[in-house]
Formats: sequence, structure tokens, C-alpha cells
Amino acid sequence: MTPAAPAIRVQNVSQTYGAAGDPRRVVALGGASLEIARGEMVCLVGPSGCGKSTLLNLIGGLATPESGNIWIDGEPVRGPQPQKVAFVFQESALFPWRTIQENVELGMEFQGVPVSERASRARESLATAGLSAFASHYPRQLSGGMKQRAQLARALALRTGILLMDEPFAALDEQTRMVFGEELSLLLANAGKTIVLVTHSLTEAVFLADRVAVFSARPGRIKQIVSVDEEHPRRQSFMTSPKLAQLRNELYDLLHDEIRSTMNLPAAEPGQ
Amino acid sequence: MNSRVTQRLVQAAFVASIALLWHFATASGRVAPLLLPPMPAVGHELSALAADADFWPDLRTTLFELVMAFLLAAAAGTAAGYAVSRTRYAVRTFEPLMAGMYAVPAILLFPLYVLFFGLGPGSKIAIGATIAFFPVALSTITGLSGVNRLYLTAARSMGASSGQTFRLVMLPAALPAILAGLRIGANAAFMAILGAETIASFAGLGHRIVSMAESMDTAKMFANIVLAMSVAAMINIAVSAAEKRGWKHEQA
Amino acid sequence: MSRPEPAVARLAVIALLLGIWEVAARAFGNPLFICPPSRVVAAFAALFRDADVVEAVYYTSFEILVAFVIAVVIGFALGLAVGLHRFTRGAMYPVILLLYAMPQVTILPLFVVVFGIGAVSKIAFGVSHGVFPMIMTVAAGAQSIEPILLRSARSMGANRMQVLRYVVFPHLVPSFFAGMRLAMTAVLLGVLVAELYVSQAGVGRFTSAFTQTFQPANLFALIGVLAALAITLNELCRRAELRFSRWCAG
Ligand SMILES: Nc1ncnc2c1ncn2[C@@H]1O[C@H](COP(=O)(O)OP(=O)(O)OP(=O)(O)O)[C@@H](O)[C@H]1O
Ligand SMILES: [Mg+2]
Repeated sequence: MTPAAPAIRVQNVSQTYGAAGDPRRVVALGGASLEIARGEMVCLVGPSGCGKSTLLNLIGGLATPESGNIWIDGEPVRGPQPQKVAFVFQESALFPWRTIQENVELGMEFQGVPVSERASRARESLATAGLSAFASHYPRQLSGGMKQRAQLARALALRTGILLMDEPFAALDEQTRMVFGEELSLLLANAGKTIVLVTHSLTEAVFLADRVAVFSARPGRIKQIVSVDEEHPRRQSFMTSPKLAQLRNELYDLLHDEIRSTMNLPAAEPGQ
Repeated sequence: MNSRVTQRLVQAAFVASIALLWHFATASGRVAPLLLPPMPAVGHELSALAADADFWPDLRTTLFELVMAFLLAAAAGTAAGYAVSRTRYAVRTFEPLMAGMYAVPAILLFPLYVLFFGLGPGSKIAIGATIAFFPVALSTITGLSGVNRLYLTAARSMGASSGQTFRLVMLPAALPAILAGLRIGANAAFMAILGAETIASFAGLGHRIVSMAESMDTAKMFANIVLAMSVAAMINIAVSAAEKRGWKHEQA
Repeated sequence: MSRPEPAVARLAVIALLLGIWEVAARAFGNPLFICPPSRVVAAFAALFRDADVVEAVYYTSFEILVAFVIAVVIGFALGLAVGLHRFTRGAMYPVILLLYAMPQVTILPLFVVVFGIGAVSKIAFGVSHGVFPMIMTVAAGAQSIEPILLRSARSMGANRMQVLRYVVFPHLVPSFFAGMRLAMTAVLLGVLVAELYVSQAGVGRFTSAFTQTFQPANLFALIGVLAALAITLNELCRRAELRFSRWCAG
């Protein structure tokens, strides 16, 4: 591993679903490129269906790109890399027949971590996620936000350098998301992980990210990258600051026409 | 008044009125005891069953047939279900075939089985196993091929081997469906065996009921019917209890 | 190289099984007990030149249809009663569940004692099988009507009959056909079991005759016809269900 290599490097990656000639064939990604430094937090925003989840799955090695290359720590991606990359999925991917503690331990079980270490690591990350009191509950006894925290705890317990999160807060209400965002920001500042997070909330993107990558409409490419120059952990005061508002408006302007074009609406006249 | 209590009362009244109707119909002599024996006579016969020397061997025969048929169907059904669910192509090829066969009343095969296996327990085991095989196999396929894709993706992202994925993800996810299939199979096998004994046999509960019907010994016949029903109820209770035990997370 | 369509593969599997049967029966089978499919086909033609056998198949079909109609009508009425009224449901549902869970085959001899060995006992036994799935499905369907639909109908001034006609019945169409399919499967089982047990004029007479006189070819052929009958009736009900399940009342 070369120390200079970025944590994640995506070079001209394309992905298509459906065979050639199939009327349902969809070009999900059309040559996306992106570099993410170690310890950086990048948010992906873009119109629905532009290939954000697809890109995340490709980075995590859950699928192979049709063309283009992806490197993690300078090594090409050839499949899932549970030692380096952990996922938090949009819907709850907790196993309903296992308690929260057992769910958090499962990844370690897959990777052959000894039993005693599993338990202590699971307790630790459950504490980080504020779920210590719910270790022996089953997923369906938890609220939506708690389930997402449990998924986060499971990902953290794997102690990977990279965390990929696909709309982890989509199911939560606005207020909970904001509070959760603050917690996450704190956590990130302490853990020093490299994080890629897909979100639909521009406020959330600006609040959390070091850089926000804006996707074009399908076939997705990265249209522009907006930097957010602000120290972690970020506080509530940043949430209401003019700086955040200004950056959010900038993102909105970038996305506006892309979203219109996905809905087959004519692009708005400037200055209208 | 509480409507729950009223409902219970109505149920009790319903059962009581059937009992009363039964009692008066037989006591008044309006219904021939040949068709409907008096209740006390049935009660008496029921208590006499335990002492009946022929009863235990018959019960043992039926239970033996049931256990054998169920074990055969459970083993073959889960194995076939597993094999078919391995690829989507196999599911699309075999699942409709099996579902189609399941819709045919398999008891039709019984005369053939009598021809092959004779009138003894062999033909009963075969028909019970045949009938129980389909629900077990079909629900194994449904269970294993219907596992939420997200669970599989999550397991893969955490580095699960294919063995671990099967043991720790597919199997627990499919278990409710498989257990439901086993429960349906156990019940279907019991019905099929009783039916087969009723249609043609030398021994077993079904055979007892028929021979009592033929000798017009209706009180005894009713006692045996009550007994067969309690065996069926016990199978249901046992299997449901087994099903619930595996599903702590569903109840809490 | 691409795989054949699943339907083609399925036919190939069936053909393969028939082939194995043919070979195995010719090579190892005792002709008293088993016969190859080719001889079954031959027996089939001969069998259906026998007017008595044709008559028996008609007779059994008649029993099935009558039992089916009765089961559907009674089951629908009871299902509505159970599904629509909380009180009737509380009072009757447990009793119906209890009856449904009973092994009905045990009372088959009783049916014969009460209704005789003619068509009536077969029909009654078929009804006793078919009525329960119908009740259950219709009741479940009736219970799943969104209360908001009933409330909005009433708010627009619908009377009881209009609520039934414009809200309840349209909503019940899919359940009705689903129940019919399950009822058909159950009625087939009931009638055929009763036929196999004792029969004067139906197919049961011939199945036992062929078994006792060791005529496997005839037995296979007759059973094949009955299976085909069952498949056809089931398929008709399944098609009807598929067609009407697309119906959307909501
Ligand atoms: N498994 C699949 N098979 C076929 N097409 C797919 C598949 N997964 C995604 N697609 C298509 O690829 C495109 C991109 O999908 P993707 O899930 O990556 O979008 P997304 O940006 O995550 O959207 P959203 O914001 O709505 O989650 C979509 O148009 C979708 O229809
Ligand atoms: Mg997505």
C-alpha cells in the first residue's frame, strides 16, 4: 500500500443494467470519477436514479463496474472487502431473528473474530451509538432511528477505515436527522474514518461533509464538487449559519436543472 | 356488558346447545341410537378404550405410519426444496411443476399404492409421505428463494463465506416458511393416513372407525372419532409449540 | 450457450420421468402391479369405450360440481356473516376454526351411515371439505375492508344495501375467487376420498375393482383421467382467481 494513495479512487466508472438491446436497459453511471482522501467525509447528492447507490456498491465491491477502475488504499477493488469497508444500508439490514447485540457481532463472526473479543467490541460500539440499553432487544422492538443507529454500531464494530452509508437517515424525521447528524459529526471527528454518505438532504450534506459531490442526471457523472470548509465536530450553530444556507443554495442551483431533466421538464429559463 | 364476555357466553351456549340437542334427541328416542348414540354411552366407550386390548396396537400402527411418513416427507421435501432453490432457473423450472402436482388430490394414488405396497402400513406410509412431501418442498423453496436480498448483500459486505451465509442468514430467514411447511405436511400426512386406513386397511385408527361403523357400533365409533380428533389436536399443538419456540423475536 | 425456457425444461423433465418409468416398468416391474406408460395409453382408449366407466366419470363429476356449488354458496354466506359482524365473528369464528381443524376423514363412515352409499354422502362430504376454506377467505377479505371506505360511503348517504353493493362486494371479488379455488381443491379431495371409500355408481367402484383384479393399466388410466379432471377444475378456478385478483376495489 502506497502511503500517498487516496483512500478511495474512482476513475471513469460506468455501469449499465440490462443486456444490450433490452428495452429496459439503463445506463446508471456514465464515467464517474472521484478521489477521496483518508479521513475525509464526502456526501453524494444527485437526482433520484442517477446512480449514487450503484457507485457506493461498486466502491464496496458488491458489484463489478462495466468499465473504469476503482482503487481502495491504492489497491484495485475485486470484491467485497470486509476488512476495509463497512456498509450502512438505507433500509434496515438488521437480521430480525438476532438481537441487536447478536446483529452487531455477526460481521465479526463472519470474519472469525474470537467470541470474547466480539462481545466486548459489540458493547463498545453499541455504547457509541447510544444503544447499550437495547443490546438484548430484537430489531422490530426498536424505532426507525434506533435501527439505523444499530446498523451504524454494526458497521463501527468492524473497525474498518472506510464507511459507506446509503441514505442512512432517509427513514427518519427532520429533527431526528439533525440531532443524528450532530452525533455523527462528533463521532467522525473522533474516529477519523473515511466516509462516503449518500443523502437527499442538501442541508445534511453541507452540515456533514468536507466535500459534497454533485451528480448529473442519469447516466450519472460527477458534475461538480463543493467544498465545505468547517471544522468537525460541527455544532448546532453551524446548522443555522448563513454559510450553510449559502452553500445549500449553491447546491440547489447545481441540482435544479438536473432534476428537471430527469423528470423530462424543460430547463428553467435563467432569471425567471 | 363486555362484548368479549358475551362472545364467550355465546360460544359456550353454542356448545351447550349442541350437547343438549344431542342429549334430547337421543333420550327422547327420536333419533335412532344407530345414527347418534347417547352421550353417556360415548363417554363410557371413551373411558373403556384404554382397557381395550385391540386399541393400543391400532393406535401404535397409526402413529408409526405417521412418524415414518412425516420423517420421509420432511427429509425428502427439505432436500428437494434446497436443491431446487439453489438457482433461480431451477426454481422457475420445478416450482410450477411441484405446485401443479400439489393441486391434484394425491389420495387418488392410494389405489395404486395398495397395488404396490399391499394393505399394510407400507401403503399408508407411502401415501402420507407423498401428500406431505409437496407442502414441505414448496415452502422450503419459497423460504430459501424468498430471502430478502438486502440480508444477503449485507452478509456479503461483512465478509460472510457461502457456508456462513447459508447457515447464519438463509436458514434462519427461511425457517418460518420451512416450519410452516412441516406443520402443514404433518397435518396432511395424518389426514391422508386416516383416510387411507378408512379406505382400505387391516389396522389403525381409521380402520377401527370403519369396522365399528360397519358393525353399527356407533357409540364405540364416536369414542374413536373423538380420540382421533384429540390426536390431531395434539399434533397441531406440538408442532405449533415447536414453531413458536424458534421464534422468540416474533413474540416479544 | 443459453438454457431452454423453463417451460421447455419442465416438459423435458416430465418426458424424462416418463421414460424412466417406461424402462423401469418393462425391465423390472411385475405386470400384476405396475405397467409402463405406453400400456396405460393403450388401456385408456379401451377403457373409455366402456359405457359404464364413462357413466361413472360423469357421475363423479356431477357429485363434484354439486358439492362445489353448495360449498361456495354456504361458505360465502357464512364468511360474510363472520367477516362483517364483530359479534358473529367473536361467537362463531372459534367454533368454525375448531371444526376446520378436525380430521374430517374420521367422520366419513358417519356420513355414509347417515346419507347412505349413494351420491348424497359424497356430496355432503365434499361440501364439508369445501365450505371451510371459502368461509375463511371470504371472512378474511371482509375484515380487510378499509373502515375509511365504509365510513365515506355512509357519509355520502349510502344505506346498508348500497354499502354491500358498492363497497363490500367489489372489495370481496378477489377473496371470492381465491376462496373458490381453495374450495375446489378441498371439494375434489372430499368427493374423491368418499368415492374411494365406498361407491355404487361413481368412479370408486372401478378403482376398487381394478385394484382387486390386478389391472394396473386400467387403474393408471382411470386415475390419470381423474387427475386430469382435477387439474382442469383447479386450473379453471386458478385462472378465474388470477383474472379477478387484478380487480382493485381500493
Ligand atoms: N439491480 C438493478 N437492475 C436494473 N436496474 C437497476 C438496478 N439497480 C439500479 N438500477 C437502475 O440504475 C439507475 C441508478 O440506480 P441507483 O439505485 O444507483 O440510483 P440512486 O442514485 O441511488 O437513486 P435514489 O436516490 O433514488 O436511491 C436507476 O435508473 C435504476 O433504475
Ligand atoms: Mg439509492
